[in-house]
Amino acid sequence: MKSDRLLAIWGVLVLAFLFAPILIIVVYSFNSGRLLTSWQGFGFDAYTAGTSRPAIRAAVTTSVQSAVGAALLSAVIGSLAGLALARRGGRWAAVLTLLLGLTLVTPEIMDAISLLGWFVSLNTEAGLPLFGDGVARLVIAHSVLSTAVVTFIVRARVAGLDSRLEEAAADLYATPWRRFRDVTLPLAAPGVLAGGLMAFTLSLDNTIVASFVSLPGASPWPVYVFSALRAGLRPEIAAVSTLLLVLTLVALAVVALVLRRSGDSPSDIARTMAGG
Amino acid sequence: MIRRLRAPHGALALPAWVFLLGFFVAPVALVVWYSFGYKPGLFGTHANDVLSLDRYGEALSGTFLRTFWNTLRIAVVGTLICLVVALPFAYWLAVKVPARWRGLLLALVLVPFWTNFLVRTLGWQIALSPEGPVSSLWQVLGGDRLDVLYTRAAVQLGVVYNYLPLMLLPLYVALERTSHALREASRDLGAGRFRTLVDVTLPLAFPGVASGCLLVFVPLMGDYVTATVLGGARGNMVGQLVAGQFQTAQNWALGSAMAVVLVLFTAGTVLLTAGVVLVVRKVVRTKRRVELEMAA
Repeated sequence: MKSDRLLAIWGVLVLAFLFAPILIIVVYSFNSGRLLTSWQGFGFDAYTAGTSRPAIRAAVTTSVQSAVGAALLSAVIGSLAGLALARRGGRWAAVLTLLLGLTLVTPEIMDAISLLGWFVSLNTEAGLPLFGDGVARLVIAHSVLSTAVVTFIVRARVAGLDSRLEEAAADLYATPWRRFRDVTLPLAAPGVLAGGLMAFTLSLDNTIVASFVSLPGASPWPVYVFSALRAGLRPEIAAVSTLLLVLTLVALAVVALVLRRSGDSPSDIARTMAGG
Repeated sequence: MIRRLRAPHGALALPAWVFLLGFFVAPVALVVWYSFGYKPGLFGTHANDVLSLDRYGEALSGTFLRTFWNTLRIAVVGTLICLVVALPFAYWLAVKVPARWRGLLLALVLVPFWTNFLVRTLGWQIALSPEGPVSSLWQVLGGDRLDVLYTRAAVQLGVVYNYLPLMLLPLYVALERTSHALREASRDLGAGRFRTLVDVTLPLAFPGVASGCLLVFVPLMGDYVTATVLGGARGNMVGQLVAGQFQTAQNWALGSAMAVVLVLFTAGTVLLTAGVVLVVRKVVRTKRRVELEMAA
């Protein structure tokens, strides 16, 4: 039918639109010129320059360290909260859900300035050295942004499980800890993994909060790129971004594979990855 | 038995409580506190020994309000364009595309979603720059050198691009849940394709539209990275003003007041829109004879 064909054309156009800038970045990462935006010729110079420049290596290392930290921290906190919310309702659960929802809809600039002030106070006035550490600051700040995502993914996962499985374990004299370790956790694991990897990519992606809380000497990759905007962009940035894109795609594929193995349909996977 | 099962579950939420109170509620409360203070001298960032609402008066000055309206316009137009672009696409993906292709296409939609936000925006900066591919193509076709970078149009394009996946996914999920049977029933009862779309499919997609608009509009109000990369000096957003007070002017009191105003205005806009939409829905529902239940 004619309208179906129009819809299909629209679909292809939107996909092309979504991929256009990514393709441009990948293509321009092979630009051998000095400035990113003006194409000189094809070459791998940007890759060698990008992977050997100390400032870039330090920024990427900081990014990966804080992303791993944020993924672990928010996976632990968020999974426990997700379990609690799925299994126990009531007033406090509603308040916690509201609070988590608020973290999702708070403009990032608010998180950024509030955590900056808070970290400075905790470090200088309360004398806690932890909050003077660049990576620790990033881990905590990014976990604030992603705990809610992990919680909601795990809650959705656990709510779909039969609570009688845990009751059966309890009837068979499993202690609370064994019940958690042998029954609940394995069943919730795909949600925990999806949530953790989501937190990982959210952290790698974050620019605004990171540019406020990070310290000189420990600025993550997006902050490095953002400050390079003023100094003039070089092709190295596209090269390193392309490498990071590949890393993210691998992480994404792993999550999709795990979810598919645990029996999710493609739309379930999309729903999980889109945060509920 | 039930009691024994429940007791540990409540305690599982404890780390989340501690973490959120310590690193979300307390810091935001601190910002609200700063906003009642002032900037003491050249080198201080904030002081709270004299409390006043003066920073709010300063925050609501001409520049801030102009920038706020600019931000609001970009956010509202951006949200609407995202909706108009995403709705047919999500409908196509959820209803028209054969099930075996759906997973692959969804994965394709997710790829940009998980590519670095800033880097995607840089991709547009290259694309739109006067020496970039779009301009070159335009010149080959006989046009003039395109100079669209650092204009409002470029910011609007970047914003639509960056937030489109956040609109697409909830719409897709909502449309995918609507059962095919309801649409068929509507057609069997003699409704045309258009009637089916307006009276059956779109009302069923409403929750997706609402959450998509929320997911796009709210972060968009606080974003200034897109505007800085593509709009240069002309891409001034409220977030940029707040950031400037903290990073350049070192006036934390004023910056805090601006951030509080931004959050309140954003929340106000969302609540107002939600209220209007709910009233309109109620009116429409009383006029409609058939009540549609969401297929769970």
